[in-house]
Amino acid sequence: MELKSYDKYRMSFAPPTTSVKLVLLGEAAVGKSSLVLRFVSNDFQENKEPTIGAAFLTQKCTIGERTIKYEIWDTAGQERFASLAPMYYRNAQAALVVYDITKPASFIKARHWVKELHEQASKDITIALVGNKHDLVEDDNDGDDSSLRKVSIEEGQKLADEEGLLFFETSAKTAYNVNEVFVGIGSKIPEAPLLKPQQPQATDGRIDLSTGTAPAADGCAC
Amino acid sequence: MAFFDALKERAVLTINQVFDKGNDSGLSKAQLFCIEHRIPDDETVIDELAAEVGVYSEYNKDAYKEKMGVSQGRIFLTQRFLIFSDAYDKRNCSFTIHLSTIKKVERVPTTDYAFALAIGTHSRIKLSFFLVGMRSESEKFAHNLKLALRANLKNIAKLQPFIQTCYSEYLLAKNKVSSEKVDEIPSGGLGLEFKFPGNAKELRDKSKMKLWFDLFKADGRNLSIVKTPMFHRLVRVGLPNRLRGEIWELCCGSMYLRLENVGLYQQLLDENKEKNSLAIEEIEKDLNRSLPEYAAYQSPEGIERLRNVLTAYSWKNPEVGYCQAMNIVTAALLIYMSEEQAFWCLHMICDRIVPGYYSKTMYGTLLDQRVFESLVQDTMPMLWEHITKYDIQLSVVSLPWFLSLFLSSMPLVYAFRILDVFFLQGPKTLFQVALAILKLNGEELLKVEDDGSFISLIKDYFHSLEQSAHPNSPNQKYRTITKFQELLVTAFKEFSIINEAVLNKHRVKHRNTIFLNISTFVKRTELRNLPKVKNIDQPTLGNIYDRYYSIVESNVTVGSGSSVMDFEGFRIFMSQICTWVNENDDNPFLRRLMNHWDSEGQKALTLSDLVVGLNKLIEPDLMEAMSNFFSLYDDKKNGKLDREHILQVSEDLLYITTPWKDAWELDRITEDAIENAIADEIVKRKAEKGEKSGDIEISSEIEIDKPKLENQQIERYLSAASTFIQRAFEYAQPEEEEALIKELAVDNKISHNAALDPSTPTYLNLPTFRMVVLADETYELLFSNTLRNSIRPEKPLDEKFDTMRNLKDMFDGLLADGRKVANKVRKRMDSAASSAINNQNQSLNHQSESSSLKSGKSKIQEEDEERDDDFGVISIDEKDKDLLLGAESHVVINTPDQATAVPKTQSSASTSTTKDGEKQPDGNLIEFET
Ligand SMILES: Nc1nc2c(ncn2[C@@H]2O[C@H](COP(=O)(O)OP(=O)(O)OP(=O)(O)O)[C@@H](O)[C@H]2O)c(=O)[nH]1
Ligand SMILES: [Mg+2]
Repeated sequence: MELKSYDKYRMSFAPPTTSVKLVLLGEAAVGKSSLVLRFVSNDFQENKEPTIGAAFLTQKCTIGERTIKYEIWDTAGQERFASLAPMYYRNAQAALVVYDITKPASFIKARHWVKELHEQASKDITIALVGNKHDLVEDDNDGDDSSLRKVSIEEGQKLADEEGLLFFETSAKTAYNVNEVFVGIGSKIPEAPLLKPQQPQATDGRIDLSTGTAPAADGCAC
Repeated sequence: MAFFDALKERAVLTINQVFDKGNDSGLSKAQLFCIEHRIPDDETVIDELAAEVGVYSEYNKDAYKEKMGVSQGRIFLTQRFLIFSDAYDKRNCSFTIHLSTIKKVERVPTTDYAFALAIGTHSRIKLSFFLVGMRSESEKFAHNLKLALRANLKNIAKLQPFIQTCYSEYLLAKNKVSSEKVDEIPSGGLGLEFKFPGNAKELRDKSKMKLWFDLFKADGRNLSIVKTPMFHRLVRVGLPNRLRGEIWELCCGSMYLRLENVGLYQQLLDENKEKNSLAIEEIEKDLNRSLPEYAAYQSPEGIERLRNVLTAYSWKNPEVGYCQAMNIVTAALLIYMSEEQAFWCLHMICDRIVPGYYSKTMYGTLLDQRVFESLVQDTMPMLWEHITKYDIQLSVVSLPWFLSLFLSSMPLVYAFRILDVFFLQGPKTLFQVALAILKLNGEELLKVEDDGSFISLIKDYFHSLEQSAHPNSPNQKYRTITKFQELLVTAFKEFSIINEAVLNKHRVKHRNTIFLNISTFVKRTELRNLPKVKNIDQPTLGNIYDRYYSIVESNVTVGSGSSVMDFEGFRIFMSQICTWVNENDDNPFLRRLMNHWDSEGQKALTLSDLVVGLNKLIEPDLMEAMSNFFSLYDDKKNGKLDREHILQVSEDLLYITTPWKDAWELDRITEDAIENAIADEIVKRKAEKGEKSGDIEISSEIEIDKPKLENQQIERYLSAASTFIQRAFEYAQPEEEEALIKELAVDNKISHNAALDPSTPTYLNLPTFRMVVLADETYELLFSNTLRNSIRPEKPLDEKFDTMRNLKDMFDGLLADGRKVANKVRKRMDSAASSAINNQNQSLNHQSESSSLKSGKSKIQEEDEERDDDFGVISIDEKDKDLLLGAESHVVINTPDQATAVPKTQSSASTSTTKDGEKQPDGNLIEFET
């Protein structure tokens, strides 16, 4: 009952959804399209065809009392497609810079992308650094030399700290941390100026995408 | 690094081609001819004539045959081909017959004026040519044909083995309508083993096969086929599975490349077996991601074939290497083609049909996307307006269509149908189909307001292609027309106006903008990824970049991915930014710099090498500048310069200082002397007039002795050079005494003699080198200031006139900078009015010379910041400038005799003491001060 009345309240005072343009960047085959597929369809494909140019998908995500409609631009990762990227990150409010934690070169590429975004993209863009394919190192023991892991959490976190990025390690394959990325981004996106009703009890149950950690903070996290 | 290396490829050559060739397409007439007739680039037309052609065969009673009759057009002879094209419509009749397939040429008896030839080919068809025109021309053509056939004899051996690889030959031989013997099924595509996509029955594969069988009998096949309207029609309705590969390679001409280069494919694979490359890594990533739903690509065999073809191509054309989407195209080709067929076909696609699509900057893709947009704008203005209004990114849907030739967008069976036409008709097919897709969905598209709905609408359309286009039509015939058929009809009928000429017109229009965008992007990326350098700022890096590529690019071949600067280029580069380098200098110092900067040992410099090197060369910190210079000669990296090196250093210093040694540039000491002379003169005059203060007027009567000051500078540099070499050897240490010397605080007498004896190996270490340099004011200034200021990487590329190179300008600039002189005068007057005259006397006094220089020096440091900006820049009123310029006509000796031999008269010890007050004392230096 309460929810219903709250919905009405919200309908009348706040726009029901905020559209957020989000772009994915990162080296070829790090799993950008797979992350999107996981987020949008909760699915995974073992052999996903490379993205040619870019792909576009949308998905809604509810964080606290806000609903965010992500307009996702998934770009091609190969170097030579880089000259197309500006076409897609133009006006983007959020970006996921993805690397593969088993491929050091992809981490270097991620650095380049972060630099490029800082220089070329909108000033207030929210960027998340995402180390993907966590499933491949899951059952590795720490400090094991034969580990598939080639980029440590610390390295990722350090870059994120230096550049002011959100940071996640994910697996598109197992769905580990995938929704958290989008919820995390959403929480950092500044809300369009509007009256925000304080309805703490309404928060419960409205989170249909997160597993319960990040979304506690609502729209005004930043 | 690879990130920006890969981006270095530039489209400039395409543009240059446009301008060079003076025609729209950017291709020469000869190239266009080869493209039109799908023959290899190295063919040239030997002879051509107007002709009437008739085609006859044992089977020409077939129904469609009779309609054809005789075709009029032009016949061409090249080294390996006899080519004909109908004058009215190429589709009526055309052929590209390989000379190897010609079995017989006969002269046909005719009426007195006509000249006719009959030609028999291995396909057992007979062509008759009535050559039109002067008899002598016809005779000449016949003669040339004979010569060409003779010259081609050596190629005939290739024909038999080649025939064994053609499915058409197998088909005819099996049905016993061929004189050739082909027992084995030629190796073909993966489809033979893993099934061809689609339902063969639905596709009416058998009937299509039968039609082609008839066509081969009547019109010949593969290397000697005559393309009749039936040929075009049969391609349009879709090729049968087993023949598809062969007709593709025939239509695009890759068949001729395969014939010409038998074995090259395997050779490429063998030669590069163990090698690795960026392309190989990229290919490996995508092998499992290419048409993964097709069974063969879940098997090692399919993957292996895909790997082979992509790898071989990356070696064949390293400039393209591998681009995503090529995997999908190749995977598709391999369903219908053998590896070798697919390889040559891919080669044809990348290099000729859609050049630049897969290249490192993808300029072809970007350009054609722009062209597509403007075609949409022209042909569907309403839709275009809608798309722009809602800011919909058309390219997000259309780019993959073009890049993967629809293979990643449509169900495969349909994409293959489009490919059939694409190979026959060329790249315009892509535009025609793409426009038709938008056209057919136009109404719906006008309703969508964002990218998402736009994309999903098109996606849904592609998945409904098998449905009826008119499901509700009362007419049964209409109801059976599928959306795909409708698409083809719209594409090839309604958009038949989109031909090569139209495309070229648009391409030319947008080429420059696209190129500019790419170069801006490439520049930005490359600059961002340059190593950090402290002495060069961002705008200067931009200017270095421009200059680098202005030099490098002029000798780069099309689409080259690696631009490096050779010595020639380096020399030009340096001559443009350094006063002491001449464009034609082949100087050991420049060679040394280049070798030292060349980080990859490739006898060439990358942009990053150049930037890192320049950064060192213009080091402002004196100590570091000297040590950078020293390390240029420290070839053994042991901190020691031997005799040879010392001689080389002194020679190179002489070379570097040429502009000052020859006095067409002035260094700061000279400038200072000039300013002092002027200031002194003014003060003197004021004193004579009894003025104590008041306006400082720089009048035209101030006279200075220019030749004298120049001579002083010349002397100073010569003496610096000789002093350097003398001292260098004086202080060079014998190898074994190294330890001793440090403790002895130098008893020079002993070591001198040993050092000067060439038989004793001696060396100069860094501290000693520094000391020797610092002992000479001119050379010290060289490293602290003169050298750095003579290198101007910040100069923009388009700055044509170099003021610094001109002596007259130097003087004018200096004199014109009245402010500085005025300051000097003011200081002199302020310091003490009473000592004004004294001062004058002093400056005439030999004794005080060094102190006057010293004060000049400290001034240099004071003004350091300011100097960088106004060095040589005219910054006073026009009025004053005139006055000063007037001074040139009254040059009179009135400056004090500035000691030209300063370095000689001063002991090295006293100089270093002087310096010690100002500079960071060098630990090692102190030991020598006794
Ligand atoms: N083990 C594992 N594999 C993954 C994961 N994410 C993606 N992959 C695999 O990695 C390959 C590449 O994934 P994509 O999502 O296509 O990569 P991408 O970044 O979109 O690649 P491009 O489109 O070429 O730029 C596919 O074979 C995926 O199955 C992951 O989290 N774990
Ligand atoms: Mg992708």
